[in-house]
Amino acid sequence: MATGDEIWEALADFTDQCNNNKRLRKMQRDWTKVLHFKAVDTGDSFTMKVVEGEITKNDKGTVGTPDIIVETDSETMCDMFWGDINPTQKYLRGEIKVKGTQEDVMRIDVITAVIWPEV
Amino acid sequence: MSIIDDILSKTDMDEIRRETEENYRQYVNPFALRMFKNASLDIIEGKREGAAVWDISGQKYIDCVTGAGIFNVGRHNKEIVEGLKKALDTYDMGGWISIVRERGLLAKKLAEITPGNLKYSLFCCGGGEAIEVAIKLARGHTDKTEIICMENGYHGVTGFALPATGRDVYKQPFAPLTPGYRHVRYNDIGAVEEAITEETAAVLLEPIQGEGGIIPADDKYLRDLRELCTKNEILLVFDEVQTGFGRTGKMFCAEHSGVAPDIMVMAKSLSGGLYPLSCAVFTEEIAEFLMTHPFIIINSFGGTSLACLVALATIEYIEKNDLPGHAAKMGERFMAGLVALKGKYPNLVLDVRGKGLMLGMEFPEDSIGPRMAYQLKQNGVISIYTFNNPRIIRIMPTLVIDEKEVDFVLEAFDRSLSEIAKQEEKTAVR
Repeated sequence: MATGDEIWEALADFTDQCNNNKRLRKMQRDWTKVLHFKAVDTGDSFTMKVVEGEITKNDKGTVGTPDIIVETDSETMCDMFWGDINPTQKYLRGEIKVKGTQEDVMRIDVITAVIWPEV
Repeated sequence: MSIIDDILSKTDMDEIRRETEENYRQYVNPFALRMFKNASLDIIEGKREGAAVWDISGQKYIDCVTGAGIFNVGRHNKEIVEGLKKALDTYDMGGWISIVRERGLLAKKLAEITPGNLKYSLFCCGGGEAIEVAIKLARGHTDKTEIICMENGYHGVTGFALPATGRDVYKQPFAPLTPGYRHVRYNDIGAVEEAITEETAAVLLEPIQGEGGIIPADDKYLRDLRELCTKNEILLVFDEVQTGFGRTGKMFCAEHSGVAPDIMVMAKSLSGGLYPLSCAVFTEEIAEFLMTHPFIIINSFGGTSLACLVALATIEYIEKNDLPGHAAKMGERFMAGLVALKGKYPNLVLDVRGKGLMLGMEFPEDSIGPRMAYQLKQNGVISIYTFNNPRIIRIMPTLVIDEKEVDFVLEAFDRSLSEIAKQEEKTAVR
């Protein structure tokens, strides 16, 4: 089990990696979304705002109306933000639940594929 | 040794997989490879026969995608393969400036088997290209510009076809698109009536929406549409790319409603799964536009000698073996099993529907379609969700599938649904 602070730290690192990757930002330039992340075992939740491929804001708790809701346990959520797992494989095995369109699921996979191509 | 001998003679399956994946990673599309691998759909096809395909490792799968309806006559149909082999002793594709004997024979055959007064054919390579021909003919013949098409419809992603496809994600990066397309709700005659203007040239639709989620048009809706189009001098265009050649239990899906369109577009199974071919078939009246505008489509590979020979052999095989009748029978068996599964998994399965062997199962949320595809692969069945609606998993096997294979697929669905039900339960408990 990971604490809310640990997830927040992993989320901050993930944000840096995304925003510092010019190639990724160019690829995702037509993607503007609000994402909610929910750790189902601890009840922690987070909000990420993406504007034209850039993560412009993270919040603790759920803020605004989400386009995408990602639900998993706190440990898997941390692993996802640290790049220790392939989130799409976890999604297809039902270990990460995503409420949103299949296109958005693919966009999330693009992020991980670009930042951690080896995962 | 030629390159073909070299490729066909390799037997080290691990080496073939490594080489193929590396070539995809470096030269084809690394992201596509990742998607296939993530979804466990990274099958490199080896043997193909009847309803099945084998991975190069020898693992057998029942193919329930069939390229969305390419392989109606079965995978690697031996009779048609033998015909093509014989033809290759003499033929190449044929010069496009020549008069092609086989093209004439195929056009005549298509005029015989299509409904109503459909008579002339223009040949292309892919479904999208044939849709382009249909739209050009509609605009040219009527001297009007607007095309009414359907929300969630799929007609391809090329120039004139892309704006007709009813989903923004395919179109957004490429604006501005060709103007003049209006999308309306499917199965809603009032929506079409409201969209008609003095500039309406045609109404374009699939008699069963394939990528939209295996949604059949109501027979009454199609008959009302026919009447509405005739009354307003608007052309009715059916896209039978996925539904044609026996798929729905009739040679063409239009036959279920008794409605004859003014233009019918076909592709996929016209090829026998062996040689690409598509075409638009249209009435004599529409053909008059071609007298003054003969070059509405110019292509090197549409309606070649070889393609037309394969198409003729394909139609002969479909008729001789009554594949439409077999599809209807196997479809009934499938549907009975799918309805039973809907009863067994009421929280997971919202609906099962379709005609013949064009069937779909609907789930309550988007994620279950991709997850079902993953589970089905583990259970020996290849399937994939419909691209405009991931909540629906498609069941479109070859039309030569037998009863035992239908039952195998149904068992695979049962096991896959059971696994997903367990996953859902686990999430709910947490």
